[in-house]
Amino acid sequence: MSVPNEDTTQLSSHFLGDLLDSIIVDVASECHRIAKLGLDPNLDEEEEEMRLSAQARARVADPSNSGETNNKYVVDIFGQTHPSVASEIFECMNCGRSIAAGRFAPHLEKCMGKGRKARLKVTRSSTAAQNRYSRGSPVSTYSPYSNSTTTNRLPNGTPGVVGEEYSNGTYPEP
Amino acid sequence: MVKQLYHVPPKRRRFIRRKHSVNRPPTPDAAEDQGKEPTLQEIINIKLIESGEKERLMELLRERLIDCGWKDEMKALCRAYIKKKGRNNVTVDDLVHLITPKGRASVPDSVKAELLQRIRTFLMSAAL
Repeated sequence: MSVPNEDTTQLSSHFLGDLLDSIIVDVASECHRIAKLGLDPNLDEEEEEMRLSAQARARVADPSNSGETNNKYVVDIFGQTHPSVASEIFECMNCGRSIAAGRFAPHLEKCMGKGRKARLKVTRSSTAAQNRYSRGSPVSTYSPYSNSTTTNRLPNGTPGVVGEEYSNGTYPEP
Repeated sequence: MVKQLYHVPPKRRRFIRRKHSVNRPPTPDAAEDQGKEPTLQEIINIKLIESGEKERLMELLRERLIDCGWKDEMKALCRAYIKKKGRNNVTVDDLVHLITPKGRASVPDSVKAELLQRIRTFLMSAAL
């Protein structure tokens, strides 16, 4: 059986159309499936807007860009909020004063001799509970640590004397 | 209205009169030239399927259409339509009717030519 030429073209087109129809049905049913199963995140207009607004809200609430100013209103993963300055009160082991936890580090700096004023100070007997360093000047006999006239060096290498310091910056002079 | 060679009387059941169905398909006796003989198309179709060539052609066409972006275009059309109508109101049928005219028209010529060539080759070999 031989196929005449014009029919060949027509038949081929027919079969091509057939194949194309099958493929079109496949594509349509695939899209339909994805839409119905909700697998396409961009499909629903409303959901898209809700997602965008949720993103914007997250950006606003993000602590990294509001800095320390708004920390009171930031909630951590347990749902707790913390004040920006810690408020528990401790006793300084150096000078025996009650210090707020948030102010403890700056206090220790001054208390233990990083600051200029602390280094110039002389130990005092009246309120200091412990004096670890001495400079050869008259020291209290009340201190529990042994005091010697030799200079003890602080860890940072400078000889220093620890003493008390008032928070307003003044300290008792010998 | 279907042309019939013989008048076929309506069936009577109990006392219920059935309306003539104007769309009733012709009974085989009244059929025209469609007869029981398979057409050339049907013969070739069977040959295509039996030899596995139809499957191969389909895979080739699928691959070509993906490569040229045709499938993505059709998917985008579907998604736009679904977005407009709401995803719970769309049927496969809707999508098929949506895509078919545009799909048939937007197949690239090179792809069409390649497939037609392969089909023609098969026809030639099958016809011998």
